[in-house]
Amino acid sequence: MMHTIPVGKVFEAIIIWLRANFDGFFNLTRLGLTGFIDAFENTLLFIPAVAIIALLAVVAWRAAGRGIAIFTVLSMGLIYNMGLWPQTMQTLALVLTSAIIALIVGIPIGICAARNDKFDRMVRPLLDFMQTMPAFVYLIPAVLFFKLGKVPGAVATVIFSMPPSVRLTNLGIRQVPHDVVEAARSFGSTSRQLLFKIQLPIAIPTILAGVNQTIMLSLSMVVIAAMIGAGGLGEEVLKGITQLKIGRGFESGVAVVLLAMVLDRITQSLANINRRKNKQA
Amino acid sequence: MRNGFKKWTILAITAALSLSLILASGCGAGKPAGQSGAKKEVKLGYVNWAEGVAMTNLAKVVLEDKMGYSVKITMADVAPIFTSVANGDYDAFMDAWLPVTHESYMKEYGAKLTDLGTNFEGARIGLVVPEYVSINSIEEMNGAKAKFDGKIIGIDSGAGIMKATDKAIKDYGLGFKLIPGSGPAMTAALKDAVEKKEWVAVTGWKPHWKFARWKLKFLEDPKGIYGKVENIHTVARKDIEKDLPEVAQFLRNFKLNDQQLGSLMGLIANSDDPLKSARKWVKDNEKLVDSWIPKKK
Repeated sequence: MMHTIPVGKVFEAIIIWLRANFDGFFNLTRLGLTGFIDAFENTLLFIPAVAIIALLAVVAWRAAGRGIAIFTVLSMGLIYNMGLWPQTMQTLALVLTSAIIALIVGIPIGICAARNDKFDRMVRPLLDFMQTMPAFVYLIPAVLFFKLGKVPGAVATVIFSMPPSVRLTNLGIRQVPHDVVEAARSFGSTSRQLLFKIQLPIAIPTILAGVNQTIMLSLSMVVIAAMIGAGGLGEEVLKGITQLKIGRGFESGVAVVLLAMVLDRITQSLANINRRKNKQA
Repeated sequence: MRNGFKKWTILAITAALSLSLILASGCGAGKPAGQSGAKKEVKLGYVNWAEGVAMTNLAKVVLEDKMGYSVKITMADVAPIFTSVANGDYDAFMDAWLPVTHESYMKEYGAKLTDLGTNFEGARIGLVVPEYVSINSIEEMNGAKAKFDGKIIGIDSGAGIMKATDKAIKDYGLGFKLIPGSGPAMTAALKDAVEKKEWVAVTGWKPHWKFARWKLKFLEDPKGIYGKVENIHTVARKDIEKDLPEVAQFLRNFKLNDQQLGSLMGLIANSDDPLKSARKWVKDNEKLVDSWIPKKK
């Protein structure tokens, strides 16, 4: 007789145990995150669309040049014109909140992983798990822990979008040329000085590429997050597909793409500016 | 020379972020729920199915405009909604199909739910074909297997209607394959077939917007595999009658017939704002709506 190993049963038991013992923690997290996301969203919705478009355009112009600035104005204008502005701001608030959390947690982990091979080996399978486990699988646990709404959506997004910032921070620091590190060591720099004055500055373009990837992956979660009540553009897409409203679904899909392109071009050019500066130095 | 701008860009982003945070902390405090004077909040979950969208928006309009509650409606997938109503996070879900379609959720969560009764009776599930298909009963399907390409187009593999169809295939001895997919995939296949006038059989249910868009019919089911009729129930969290007795009574009274639900779904389908449509419908059906509202003692 074959005995099956109860992988699923164990997972379920862990979920039930966590719920029984850490309810307070989950509640606190939920309240904190709800407050933050709602406030972010209210702020974005309170500021007139024109002002936000102008602000984004200025940022894009300063960071990436006139072409991207014009593109930003046109694409955000189109989103506004399609009547998807509130949903886009909801999505933006959710995506940026998730990305910020992912970076706050991910970058330090990446730094540790770069400096400690053992830790690196431990973290790696965890990152694989986070990136490839189909997000649908943890929708229900997320709902059990954080209730329906934006918070479980944000949590699922953080889990899915954090790995690139860890991986690329790790990679960036490991790619710092050995002779540079040796030279710094031989001049007697402490390990803290080595990190902040040598490794991090040289690694910044790679780290920023990780930031960029994290933001892009966050955006790709909007539809799945909408399945647990996160609203925003994802909800519009979901409405489009569940009722075969092809036009509406496509419009909201386009809005997601345009938002992604604007955020991508801006964050990417920040990394490029850094690279250029490093070359000149 | 764009390098000089980098500082400005970073400064601008920092400024924008801190500004939004300052504003955030100002308005982010939120109102404590259920405090004195504040309106009582009711939370309804719904899935993006036409009848659920219609009924949930209607309930919101009546609870807010006529009964003085504040209602939050959230759209999500069906499993997370059952989970959160059973958990007590949400107050009610108005789109539970019983006894067949959502049986598996009731098995799992029934003990943690209160069934507030039906809000629509005579819903139906079964095998649906376009009207131009010349057979009328599931028993005739084997004879037209080639025309159907030997396939029945299904929806999500866990759905109750899929289990019923598996049973139908076995009990009628159909040589058909049931293709799992999703609701959207099923309607897309139907749309494609109708446009090409091809024969197609899908797992279908009513009320559904597909009956408004295309001419369709149910195949007769002499063995009654799909149940006689299904009813749509409102299920609520366990202690709703203690915490929100008036709302519970209202949801119990809330009932629509085929024609009423149809006209509401029609109004919603033709506009972008379901709430506005629901308000208009309430105006046209004032008497019915008032009969749902519990009398104050």
